[in-house]
Amino acid sequence: MSESVYNLLSKIIDLYAKSREKVKYGWIQKNISKINEWKLMAYAYSRSYIGLVGGFLVLITVLLAILGPYVSWEEYWDYRAVLEPDLYLRPPCLSFTGNCPLLGTDEWGRDILAMILYGMRISFVISLLVVVLGVPLGIILGLMAGYKGGIIDEILMRITDMFIAFPGLILSIAFATVLPERIRGLLDTHPALRDFLLGLFALRPQEYSQLAALLSVFSALIIVWWPGYARIVRGSVLSVKEQTFIEAARSLGLSTWRILLKHLLPNIISPILVMATFDLATATLLAASLSFLGLGPQDPVPELGFMISKAGLYFPERSWWIVIADGTVLLLIALGWNLLGDALRDVFDPRTRRAIEVKARAKSLKEGKK
Amino acid sequence: MTFIPTIVGVILITYIIAYLIPTDPVRAWVGGEKLLNPEALERVRKKYKFDAPWYEQFTFLTYMLFTGQLDDPIKRVKVIQELSFRFPITFELAIFGFIFSALIGIPLGIISALRKDTIIDFFVRFFAFFGSSMPSFVLYYFLILALFVMAKTTYLAGVPRPSTTCYAYISSLPSSFPIIGHLLFYVGQIPLFGSMMCGEWNIVWETAKRFYLPGLALGLLNGGFIARIVRNSLLDALSSDYVLFAKARGLPKRWVWNHAFKNALVPLVTVLGLQFGGLLSGAVIAETVFNIPGMGRFMYDSIIRLNFPAIIAGTFLFALVYVTVNLIVDILYALIDPRIRY
Repeated sequence: MSESVYNLLSKIIDLYAKSREKVKYGWIQKNISKINEWKLMAYAYSRSYIGLVGGFLVLITVLLAILGPYVSWEEYWDYRAVLEPDLYLRPPCLSFTGNCPLLGTDEWGRDILAMILYGMRISFVISLLVVVLGVPLGIILGLMAGYKGGIIDEILMRITDMFIAFPGLILSIAFATVLPERIRGLLDTHPALRDFLLGLFALRPQEYSQLAALLSVFSALIIVWWPGYARIVRGSVLSVKEQTFIEAARSLGLSTWRILLKHLLPNIISPILVMATFDLATATLLAASLSFLGLGPQDPVPELGFMISKAGLYFPERSWWIVIADGTVLLLIALGWNLLGDALRDVFDPRTRRAIEVKARAKSLKEGKK
Repeated sequence: MTFIPTIVGVILITYIIAYLIPTDPVRAWVGGEKLLNPEALERVRKKYKFDAPWYEQFTFLTYMLFTGQLDDPIKRVKVIQELSFRFPITFELAIFGFIFSALIGIPLGIISALRKDTIIDFFVRFFAFFGSSMPSFVLYYFLILALFVMAKTTYLAGVPRPSTTCYAYISSLPSSFPIIGHLLFYVGQIPLFGSMMCGEWNIVWETAKRFYLPGLALGLLNGGFIARIVRNSLLDALSSDYVLFAKARGLPKRWVWNHAFKNALVPLVTVLGLQFGGLLSGAVIAETVFNIPGMGRFMYDSIIRLNFPAIIAGTFLFALVYVTVNLIVDILYALIDPRIRY
C-alpha cells in the first residue's frame, strides 16, 4: 500500500520537474536537492498509516463534494412528502426494488443520502473559502507586524489580542447576525458575483437570499480566523528575520515585499500549512455549528448542521437516522483533515523526516547484508 | 497593565459591530413594527442616547455599565442582575466540564506515555482525533439518547438552587466576617458552592445529577486534547538528561517520577487554564442542547434580539474572564516553575 502511494507521488514529482525543465532548460539540474527533498517528503508521508487514512478520507470527501450535486438523484427543492405522505420521515430501509431510501427521508420526504451530497458541497466550499481567504490575511498582517516592528507591530498585535480575547463562536454569531443585510446589498449590485457563488455552492438562482446567510457565515468565520495566524506568523518572522540570509537580501537592496514573500515566507510556511489543514476541519465544524444554531441558510438549503438541528426536534424516535447520517459525514470530513494534518506535521518537520530517512537506510542496509 | 487596552478594545469592537447593523435596534426593543408606539420609541431612544453622536453613546453605555445602572431594554431588569444570575450557572457547567476533561485526559495521557507505541497509545491518539473531529451537537444528542432517554439517570430542565434561608445566610456573611465574608459571599452565589456552604447536600447531589451529562460531554470533547498534551510533555520530560541522571544515580522510581512530572506540568497548566477560560466564555451549543440558562445562551439570545446593553455587558465580562484566566495561569507558572520570574 505505502509502496504504491510512494511510487505515485514520486511519479507526480518527476512529471512536475520535467514540465518545469521543458519551460526552462536546466531547472532540474539547479533544483536537484529540492526534488530529492520532495521525494523524501513523499516517502515519509507514505510510511505513516495515519496520513494514508486521512488522505484517503480527504480524497473521498472532496471528490464527493465536487461531484455530489451532479450525481445527486433528487433535487433539494423537491418537497416530495407533499404529494406522497408516506415519505414523511421514513426510516432507512434496504431493498433492491428501488423507491426505498437507503438512509431514510427527512420531514419534506427528501432522500437523506441525496441531500448529504449537496450538504457536503456547501460544507467544503465554506471551509475552503474560510481558509483560502482568511489565512493569507493573517499571514500578510503577521509578516507586516513581525518584519516592520515598532508602532505597526504594537497596533496590530493589540488588535489581534482583542480578537483572541473574544470567544470565537460568539463573535461569529454576532457577525453572522449583522452581516446578511450588508451582503444582500452587495449581491444585488454584483449579479456576476452572485451567479458565480451560486454555482460554487450548487444552489439554484431562487436561493439567492439564502446565499447572503451562507456568505455571512463564512465572512464571520474569516473575521474570527486571521488573528491566530497573524500571531504565529509574527512569532516565526521574529526568529527568522535576524538570520544572515535576510541581512544579505536586505544589503543587496531587494524591496521589502520581495524579501517578505521570496525569502521569509518559504522558511515559515510549513507550520502554517499544517495549521491550515487542521483548520479546514475546524472551519467545517464551526460552520455546521453556526447553522445548527439557526444562523446559516434556511429551508430548503440542505446544510448539514441545519438538517441536524431540524432533526433535533423529532429526536430520537423519528429522526435518529438523520442525526447519525449527517453527523457521520461531518465527522468523516473533519477526521480526514485532522489525520492528514497530523501526518503533514511529521512530513514537514525536517527532524522527523531525517529520522525516517535514517531508519529506512538502516533497514535497506540490513536487508542487503542478508 | 497591558490588559486594559484589551478590555477597552473588546468593548469597542462590540460597539462597531452594533453600528454595522442597518436596522434600528430601538424599534425592535419597543415591540416591532405592528405594536410601534412613537412616544415610547422616542423615550427609549432618549434613554439610551441613541439620538446623540456615537462617542457620547459609547461613553454613556460604558459609564452606566461600570456603575451598574444599565437597564436591560427588553427584560426590565438591570443588566448586572441578569449577568449575576447567568454567570454562576456557566461557572457551574465549566467546573463540571473541567473536572471531567481532567479526569479523562490526565490519566489517559499518563498511561499512553508509559505504554508508548502500544495499543493503548494508539487508542488514546485516536480518541484525541475523535474529540477534535466530532461535531459537538451530534455527540450531545447521542449522550442524551443514551443517558437521558434510555438509562433515565438524569434530567434536563431547570438548575437546582439552594433554599431562600441559605441565600439569607450567605448574604449575611459580609457583615459577620470582614474580608473573607465578602469573598465567601461571591463564591456562595454559585449554586453548587452556596449549597455546600449551607450544608444542603441534597441540592449538591441534585446539581451533580443535573450537570454531569453536559460535563461528561464537554470532557469527552476536550479530554483527548489534554491527554495528548500530557503524553507529549511527559515523554519529553522522561527522555531528558536529568531523568537519565536520576536513574543512573539509582534513585527510587517514585523520585524519578516526581522530577519528570513536575517538569511536564507546565504545558498542562497552560492548556487546562485556557480550557477553563474557554468553558467560562460560554459553551453556546452545549447550553442550547442541554437547555442550561448560562452565559452562552444569554449572549446568543441578546445578539438575536439586538439587545445591545446586554451584549456589551456580556462581552465586558468575557474580556474580564479572559484576562483573569491568563493572570492566574501566569501566577501558577511562577509557582510551579521557579525559573520563571516576573
